[in-house]
Amino acid sequence: MAPLRPVALLLFSLSLAALPERAGAQQAGMQRAFELERRGNYAAAVEAYRGLLARSPGDVTALLGLERVLLPLNRSGEIVPDLRAALAVDSSSAAIYGVALRTWGVVDQPDSMRAVAERWARMAPRDEAPYREWGAAALAARHRDAALQAYRLGRERLARDDVLAAEFAQLAVSDGDYPTAAREWLLAVRQLPGYRVTAVATLGHAPISKRGEILQILSGNLDFTARRLESELRVKWGDPMGGLAALEAGLPLAPQGQVIDALRGLVDQLRMQRTRDALLAQGRALEAIAGRLPRSQASRTRLEAAQAYSAAGEPEAARRMLSGLAEDRSTRGNVASGAASALLTVLIGEGKLDEATRRLAQLRPQLSGEEHAQLTHALVTAYIRKGELDRADSVLGRDSTIDGFALAGRIKLYRGDLKAAVESFRQAGPYAGDRTEATRRTLLLALLQPIEADTLERLGQALLRLEQGDTTRAVAELESVAGELAPAKGGAELRLLAGRLAAAQGDAALAERLYRDAASREAPATAPAAELALAELMVRARRASEAVAQLEHLILTYPESALVPQARRTLDVARGAVPQT
Amino acid sequence: MKRREFLGRAGAGLLTLAPGLPRLPLPGRSAPWLLVPMDDAQSDHLKAYGLAYRLLERGGRAEWFLNYRGGAFLLPADGATSRDAALAGVTSEPLDDGRLVEVRGEIQNGNMDAVPLEKAPKVAVYAPPNAAPWDDAVTMALNYAGIKFEKIWDPQVVGQGLRSYDWLHLHHEDFTGQYSKFFLNYAGAPWLSEMVQQNRAMARSLGYPSVPAEKQAVALAIAQYVERGGFLFAMCTATETLDLALAAEDTDIAAAYADGSPMDPDATRKLRWDRALAFEGARLELSPTMPVYSDIDGHQVNSPDRRQPLGSFSLFNFSAKIDPVATMLVQNHRQIIPDFYGLTTSFTRSRLKPSVTILAEESGAPWVKYIHGERGQGTWTFFGGHDPEDPQHQIGDAPTDLSLHPHSPGYRLILNNVLFPAAKKKELKT
Repeated sequence: MAPLRPVALLLFSLSLAALPERAGAQQAGMQRAFELERRGNYAAAVEAYRGLLARSPGDVTALLGLERVLLPLNRSGEIVPDLRAALAVDSSSAAIYGVALRTWGVVDQPDSMRAVAERWARMAPRDEAPYREWGAAALAARHRDAALQAYRLGRERLARDDVLAAEFAQLAVSDGDYPTAAREWLLAVRQLPGYRVTAVATLGHAPISKRGEILQILSGNLDFTARRLESELRVKWGDPMGGLAALEAGLPLAPQGQVIDALRGLVDQLRMQRTRDALLAQGRALEAIAGRLPRSQASRTRLEAAQAYSAAGEPEAARRMLSGLAEDRSTRGNVASGAASALLTVLIGEGKLDEATRRLAQLRPQLSGEEHAQLTHALVTAYIRKGELDRADSVLGRDSTIDGFALAGRIKLYRGDLKAAVESFRQAGPYAGDRTEATRRTLLLALLQPIEADTLERLGQALLRLEQGDTTRAVAELESVAGELAPAKGGAELRLLAGRLAAAQGDAALAERLYRDAASREAPATAPAAELALAELMVRARRASEAVAQLEHLILTYPESALVPQARRTLDVARGAVPQT
Repeated sequence: MKRREFLGRAGAGLLTLAPGLPRLPLPGRSAPWLLVPMDDAQSDHLKAYGLAYRLLERGGRAEWFLNYRGGAFLLPADGATSRDAALAGVTSEPLDDGRLVEVRGEIQNGNMDAVPLEKAPKVAVYAPPNAAPWDDAVTMALNYAGIKFEKIWDPQVVGQGLRSYDWLHLHHEDFTGQYSKFFLNYAGAPWLSEMVQQNRAMARSLGYPSVPAEKQAVALAIAQYVERGGFLFAMCTATETLDLALAAEDTDIAAAYADGSPMDPDATRKLRWDRALAFEGARLELSPTMPVYSDIDGHQVNSPDRRQPLGSFSLFNFSAKIDPVATMLVQNHRQIIPDFYGLTTSFTRSRLKPSVTILAEESGAPWVKYIHGERGQGTWTFFGGHDPEDPQHQIGDAPTDLSLHPHSPGYRLILNNVLFPAAKKKELKT
């Protein structure tokens, strides 16, 4: 034997030297195969992965790659020889068993699936994975009953009620058996809390008729997991206050450290909804969080709660949250100014404008210049809406910002001083306020332009009514003022505006009459817009042939109008020549 | 009358002296003609076709100035036409007799021609009764342009109902009876279930053993319609499947889910291409799950490993005086047009019969886009792809709004086909 020893050593050292080289070749081959797959050249990728498996049959990465690229080629069954070779060299790899199960599923060999799953289960007797993968492969092959059988076998053998609960739940959902799904999801979430999101997402799709039963099942379980699931489902189904109540009932049972997390989760969910109840529930949940935090950390949350309460129309609760925050010198700067803003917003919202004016002066040091200007403008707007134009003027003062000019223009307009209003609107330019505001100003300028009178108090009053939300009276007063003006001198424009307001209110008959009155040949600048509005009203009322006649009249009578392209488009819609959008 | 005989047109002198249209001088108007330019001066190319069509419908006559200003139309400047142009937003230029003589001279001296349009063709669109109105490029083009059409389906086609139409359009119908080969991949989708149910009921009511058998009878009736002098225009998968159905008269090319028996494994060899209109020698796709029919389509959009990217296609230039038919079909203000997918996007060059006229192709590619040919007394035109303004069209996509594409060169090609049967036909010289 002695002479063999140097040869054996030589062979061993050669094999050691070859190892890195072989590994390098395998890695390079893998990169090439990935690249081919990434580029969508699946046929070539198949060959590349096969080459790797020929050198190393147990290479799981290559086997998984081969499985992936055969799928889009509709050739999944061709993996069988490679799979057999892989199982022959490595019978302990869960990944290889997974490929085997999926492959037998694709080629529709349920007996082989079962055999592979059993072999895997013998190797890992305490593991759910063989049954889970078996069921998944059966489902992919559309064998629902086989999947159910696999899951049942797993639960029976592992002898625990919560084994494969998520899988049972998903099967139940696909069968429309939501009560069973709720029970199984509860088991699954207790075992693995991460399932909660999926549970809520799938149970959330339950039809209305099943929701009561699901909630009953959940409320019949007294633990925190069930409460939290119930809470999230109630919120998802449009009952935010019920959701809050369910969570609050579960909080005493919550494990240490999960209370704030659960409340924050609820707040996040509620932020997606803008109903009054959702905002109120959000405010209460935030208040509950703030109550559990040290005072030094609670101020921001109290501010958020106040904002939610304020948006929900609960000024008392908002003020309770803000009490002390705004004036508290120890509160951090940005929170203090936020609290001051919120408090003033609450006061303005409550219509306590004089108190808001006083507090605005007091809180001036806590507010940035921009915040102060914004709140001042909000206050002025509130006074305008209240019809207290002198007070609005006084609060606005000599504000020379573009937003200030825009507000001054509105005050002058509502006083009936049209000339001064136009001047202020021009000074404000197109950038004051948001886009809606700017568009509104432009429309007002267009409305005022043909009117020759410098002052027209009744028009100011009519527009103020509109600002105050009394559209019905505004429409009547606008029409009345229009009656005193020649069509080309503002009469037609005012009728057109009144018609649009009536249409927006749903009074189609009144709108139609006003549009017809506005579509006067004596007002060629207004008539095309009035005719177009009338035609659009007719299209909405499914009076297509009348709309067509109206639009044809518009196009042929006012061929130079800028509205002609839009009229042609509406004509196409009325005729059914283009899809309704 | 389908393929009307041409009256020979006189020479240039006669053209100049006697305009082809009845002159309708209007009180207070100095220009008796309207020139509808079809170059970039036109504000709505698609509606211009409708304007010409409606004039013919009213019994008027028009001329199509091939290759002149993008394929302009000459219309009489009567009140109805002027009003129609204004309503449609179609650009038209008043033309007096003196200027018209100049235009005719220009046409006479270049690769241009003036083709009289004299009768509005009666248009039929082949579509199932429940077809979505916006899922067919031709229906959309006709609706937008304001050209009247009637929808017909299998009972009318099999029952000789085609005789009363001058022009027939087919879109994405599957004449192999395999429901666009979506049967397995879209199993359970409501629209597919409805399609299957509807087709099976129709096959039963017409007395055919299966949908493939019934669709084959429809394909044969369509081929006979062309034979007798009809104008056929087909797009998307109707092109390929029509020819496959015709070639497979004695061969089972349908998957088992369609007719209960699997495709004949030797089907490719057994196809009789002498019966087909445009293609020959194609190889069939054997997989029932792959929504691909054969190698006629160059792009194979639904085959992951054979799918080809979209390029653009160029329209051929033909001699207007020698080959007016092909010239009419390619009138456009663009020479190169971006390509668009369909179940059948293009036609593999090597699968075309030698007699086929190629109207548009992708330069350097092994496929062509737009082809034309004759069969008996009639003609057919095939245009690959689904929707020229929705290149990647998917099932369920929002419909194309043509008011956003009034200059679409792809849609112009469709509308060229609609007006083509209105032309008095000269002898085809190529």
